[in-house]
Amino acid sequence: MTIPPSGAAKPPRAVVYRRHPRLDQAKRTWYFFRRNTLALVGLGILAGIGIIAAYSATLPLPWTSIPVYCATDYGPGDTQTGYPGPYVPVASCPLTVCTYETTPPPNANEYCKGAWYKTPVVVYTNSSNTSYISYAGALGPTLTLSPFSVGPMPLGGLTTDLGAETPLYNVAGALARGSDWSLMLSLSIVGFGAMTGLFVGAIAGFYGGIIDDVLMRLVDVFLSIPVILFVIVMVTALGQLIPVHGTSGAYLKLLLLIAGFVIIWWPFYARLVRGQVLVVREQKYVEAARASGASKGRTLLRHIIPNSMYPIFIQFSLDVGTIPLLIGALVFLGFGPEMFPAVPFPEWGAITALSVEDLTVDMLGSCYNGPCIICWWQLLFPGLALFFFGISVNLLSDGIRDALDPRLRR
Amino acid sequence: MLTYVIRRLLLIIPVLIGVVTITFILFASLPISEQLLADIGPPGKGAPCGYNPSCTCSVLDPNSVNHVKDTCKCIDPPTVTTPQGICRNPAYYADIHKLGLDRPLPEQWATFVYHAFVFQWGYVSNYSSIASAEQTIAGKPVATVLTWFLPYTIELALLSLAFILVIAIPLGNAAAVNRNRPIDQIARVMSFSGFAIPAFLLGSLLVTGVVLLLLPHTGISVRTPWCPGGEALDHEFTYSWPSNSACYSNLVFPYSYPLWMKTGIQTSPTGFPTVDAVLHGQYWLALDSVIRMLLPALVIAYGTVAGLLRFVRNSMLEVMNLDYIRTARAKGLPEKVVTSKHAGRNSLNVTITVLGLTFAGFIGGFPVVEEVFHINGVGETIALAVVQPLDYGIIFGSTILFTFLIVAANIIVDVLYAYLDPRVRLG
Repeated sequence: MTIPPSGAAKPPRAVVYRRHPRLDQAKRTWYFFRRNTLALVGLGILAGIGIIAAYSATLPLPWTSIPVYCATDYGPGDTQTGYPGPYVPVASCPLTVCTYETTPPPNANEYCKGAWYKTPVVVYTNSSNTSYISYAGALGPTLTLSPFSVGPMPLGGLTTDLGAETPLYNVAGALARGSDWSLMLSLSIVGFGAMTGLFVGAIAGFYGGIIDDVLMRLVDVFLSIPVILFVIVMVTALGQLIPVHGTSGAYLKLLLLIAGFVIIWWPFYARLVRGQVLVVREQKYVEAARASGASKGRTLLRHIIPNSMYPIFIQFSLDVGTIPLLIGALVFLGFGPEMFPAVPFPEWGAITALSVEDLTVDMLGSCYNGPCIICWWQLLFPGLALFFFGISVNLLSDGIRDALDPRLRR
Repeated sequence: MLTYVIRRLLLIIPVLIGVVTITFILFASLPISEQLLADIGPPGKGAPCGYNPSCTCSVLDPNSVNHVKDTCKCIDPPTVTTPQGICRNPAYYADIHKLGLDRPLPEQWATFVYHAFVFQWGYVSNYSSIASAEQTIAGKPVATVLTWFLPYTIELALLSLAFILVIAIPLGNAAAVNRNRPIDQIARVMSFSGFAIPAFLLGSLLVTGVVLLLLPHTGISVRTPWCPGGEALDHEFTYSWPSNSACYSNLVFPYSYPLWMKTGIQTSPTGFPTVDAVLHGQYWLALDSVIRMLLPALVIAYGTVAGLLRFVRNSMLEVMNLDYIRTARAKGLPEKVVTSKHAGRNSLNVTITVLGLTFAGFIGGFPVVEEVFHINGVGETIALAVVQPLDYGIIFGSTILFTFLIVAANIIVDVLYAYLDPRVRLG
């Protein structure tokens, strides 16, 4: 290095605005991601779902409460717990004495469920003999979107309002309403799981020794429990500690459900991250950080964790798509209306599961013995929504992997 | 190898204890009456009906048998009335003491763990919906009841595993070898759609579509020696066609008796329906039970293959880039040998590891699939035990059973892995 003579003027130094290297890397990743058409399609579908979800709360309610069967058919509620019984009207008809005027037309089998409910006039009578009338036109526009508009109401929801057994819902509206539930549940479950797993895995991999052994045995324990079974057991067992049978109780049970999923979900990430950390901690730059005096915590947080995150992104985007499927499986096993009374819960998997059950019953009841009309749309559209959600998440995940993995992108 | 296996076996002890502990935490959070009902305790206490408040009633108040166990009222004999005004079986407090539920939690935990390991998983309540629908299992020990149904699940699992391996490995390898060619795209579509179509939807579509709508129009009438009434094409039969319940009237709970009880085979040497049928020389019956398992096995395999395919493909892609593959090619080996022998075998490690990891999800999908297809397995038992009023004995017992199965499967996978990869067992 030559020392400039003391009198000479310094040459002006070019001002270079250096971006953060990770920003550069993200930009590069985005560049490679952008060239992948399928991944962009996936991102587009997801973005569309996100936009619908963001505005779904402003849409009109897609369901209406049309009483179909008399609540008293189902017997009294549970006096000990205060639970008013499965379909007993809570707000409007507290004394549960009701009759219905509408009878199914003789050829009801030739129509879809709900089709003949279009103009029922339902007379409720409570004990003081005051009758009041509720009719289907109350929420008119949502119902007249027929034929793509009717089906049984998914999950408890507003069923308790008027004592209806199967209030109707607008399939498109319910799907729009359910989009935020699906997204929120998926993202929160997988997000919490991934965060927990990230830290546990990083600590196990970084510190090694007995900490690693203990944490990994813990991971083994949770990895040996099937998720659906665990969630069922947890919601039924701990759910009994929640005596509230109102909206708040239902939300608490929903939280319990999320917690149950998270408890089973984090070990996958812990194992994934640990494997990655074991590789990363031997890298030169970690050594350099330590040599320059970085504390253990700083090394872990600034150098090791950010560099072990890539497999998490891929796994995360994959897992998000499976949550609605698992919730659908739960609902299919009967964790529907009983689990979340009084909360509208039009999650896509749940809608699909209930439609499957309903259609099967329809086909058994009417199709076998003659001509029948099947409400195929009540299954097709929720199924398609689930399908496109899963597909887009997969495409996105593939795109991320291809963009992050230098071996694959060229 | 032996030392590795022994070391691995020792490592599962803490895992098993941990799994049982988690089950215990959930069990201990149940109300005490539910715990009594599930009756995790030494056999003989409260048997044969477990703890059941109504058990000693000769006349039960019919209005009180809803679903909350505490509110059962005996008309004869009169029961103890608690301060809350709830009628209880006089044995209630005695049973709490007998089963040790008034002991400190650590002691209860130790008892629970011990009982879990000696297969004392309590009793089926004769108060739950599953038991009241099917009196055969009511009051029986849970472990005994589960052994009736486990063989069906094992047979189904083995068949699905066969499908999984037969589909995933060749298809994944072919996809990697023919990257971005049509077969790769087919594999990709299979993988994507498997992630996006829930098993209950696929299964129900198959049942209603194929079995209910198509089969009656084919003119196939299934007349078999064990369906002498020719109920083959009646409405309920076709619906439950892929089930083992066939032409029996009790279709809602088709597993009510194990197949060997229903079909006139009086002895069941193994408990496995197919094996038993073969042992008894009833080959039709064996074929029948395999056919019934085809569709459910395909549904299970489809979901699992989706998760497996991309790993098989990726690991194959990585192996194909390694030096020894280039060497093998350079020395003039046919491409077929290179891909199947050199690359295929070396990519198997990853496949087996991932298979072990997905085993929990694989076995966890059984309740849904068995429920859809009415297979008499543990899964369907779980699906029916979670119907209100629940049967906690079966729920907790089968949770323990499934976790034990998964731990066992993981050990098998690890040993296989060590066998395939010497670095593991020596390092």
